[in-house]
Amino acid sequence: MIRALFSAASGMNAQQTNLENIANNIANANTTGFKARRAQFQDLLYQNMIQPGAAASQQSTVPTGLQLGLGTRAVSNEVNFAQGDFSETDNPLDVVIQGHGFFQIRQTNGDLAYTKAGSFHLSATGQLVDGSGNLLDPPITIPANAISTTIAADGTVSFTLPGQPAAQQAGQIQLANFPNPAGLNSLGSNLYAQTDASGAPVVGAPGSSDGLGSLLQGYLEQSNVSIVQEFVNMIVSQRAYEANSKVVKAADDMYQQANNLKQ
Amino acid sequence: MDQISLIAASGMRANLQSLDLLANNMANTSTNGYKGDSEFHTVFVSEAADESDVEPTTLPMIERHWTDFSQGTLEPTSNPLDFGLTGKGFFAVQGPSGTLYTRNGSFQMSSSGTLNTRDGYPLLDQNGQPLKLLKPGAPVVVSPDGTVQQDGQPVGKLQFVDFKEPGALLKHGGNYFENSTGAKPVTPDSATVAQGKVETSNVNAAHGAVRLVNVMRQFEVMQKAISIANEMGREAIEQVAKIS
Repeated sequence: MIRALFSAASGMNAQQTNLENIANNIANANTTGFKARRAQFQDLLYQNMIQPGAAASQQSTVPTGLQLGLGTRAVSNEVNFAQGDFSETDNPLDVVIQGHGFFQIRQTNGDLAYTKAGSFHLSATGQLVDGSGNLLDPPITIPANAISTTIAADGTVSFTLPGQPAAQQAGQIQLANFPNPAGLNSLGSNLYAQTDASGAPVVGAPGSSDGLGSLLQGYLEQSNVSIVQEFVNMIVSQRAYEANSKVVKAADDMYQQANNLKQ
Repeated sequence: MDQISLIAASGMRANLQSLDLLANNMANTSTNGYKGDSEFHTVFVSEAADESDVEPTTLPMIERHWTDFSQGTLEPTSNPLDFGLTGKGFFAVQGPSGTLYTRNGSFQMSSSGTLNTRDGYPLLDQNGQPLKLLKPGAPVVVSPDGTVQQDGQPVGKLQFVDFKEPGALLKHGGNYFENSTGAKPVTPDSATVAQGKVETSNVNAAHGAVRLVNVMRQFEVMQKAISIANEMGREAIEQVAKIS
């Protein structure tokens, strides 16, 4: 009886986590480079009421036994790194990665972070920075008097100065990839950090043979959240929550009836 | 205790266990690869049944559970490391104390190049060894028969196992089953893998709700039976033994 109550409560808790995750996905439906997360669940331990193989009588044994489960728990919400749609912005400092890989961002505390959001800006000193002002790594500086900036598919950044027909190279953007990107830690502000689960980054030039994607200038990668999918998940989650609350009610009713046996 | 109360109380206990099973099913409607449990009702017959002149005691009880191994719905996730299994069989993974079996085909690449479950248990290939990727981080392609490729190079073939009597599998928790009876695994002939999909729980919430009503009503009936038996006992004591 108490088992049923707690199993149902664990189900309600899990659906609440599910809904919180869905809410965050929907809230970030317009966040550049955002990757949706999907909650995953596991069943909990089982209580063996009757051991399989136990003697049912002198001649026979119980073939499978009786196992009563104790509910569910949210085990992870993994990031879905599927490519988002590209939208054209015509901004020369907007870049998308077509395929695998992350831009490397040097945070203010000196640690490297990784992002899919390729919306860069120029700092006061002409360096490429992300929306929060963190430097792109390796640093690339564009002179203030440059009239055009080009980012090639392989990450080479070049600019032209007034009166000089030949373009000059400012550097090359490097991408990082991980053995297990789903193991990255979300830091907020579109940034991810390396963990033991993600493995060490493999850094290389865009479009190189390491499976790194190539760059495309003048586009931004949209969030890969599918609103329709999230709404469907929300309905399923809500109904599952409801079903579990019904179990709580049923267990409560039955408990009450058992108590009423003694009048 | 009189016979009626005894039988009804045993029935109530069985109903409580039914509710426990049902509650666990309902809690796991969002657990990938979860297989629903049902109870198997039986009647306990006392040993006295062997002696022909004694009225045997029979009690309703739940002897065992059985797991419904029917296929869950495949849901597209667009994650290339989600493998949805159709047909019979299980993925084999290397647990901390022996091989575990699962239908939850949601894996992660480890930095050492194996494909791991959420708990870090590596997925096994058809030789029973952890499947080693050629290049950790590079895209993985799995064909329906379980052959794994990276950059067009063959990596290995996934192991699918089934059991002649899947009822011999014990639930381990964490979406795993363990082979409790030492039954010999067989290779299923109908298992295929769909990449980028996961198999959702096969628990039907509507069906669960109907069973819930059923369990509640049965419990209520037994409770009434006990009340009536009590009433009869009271009447017997108060009325029959009354000296007027």
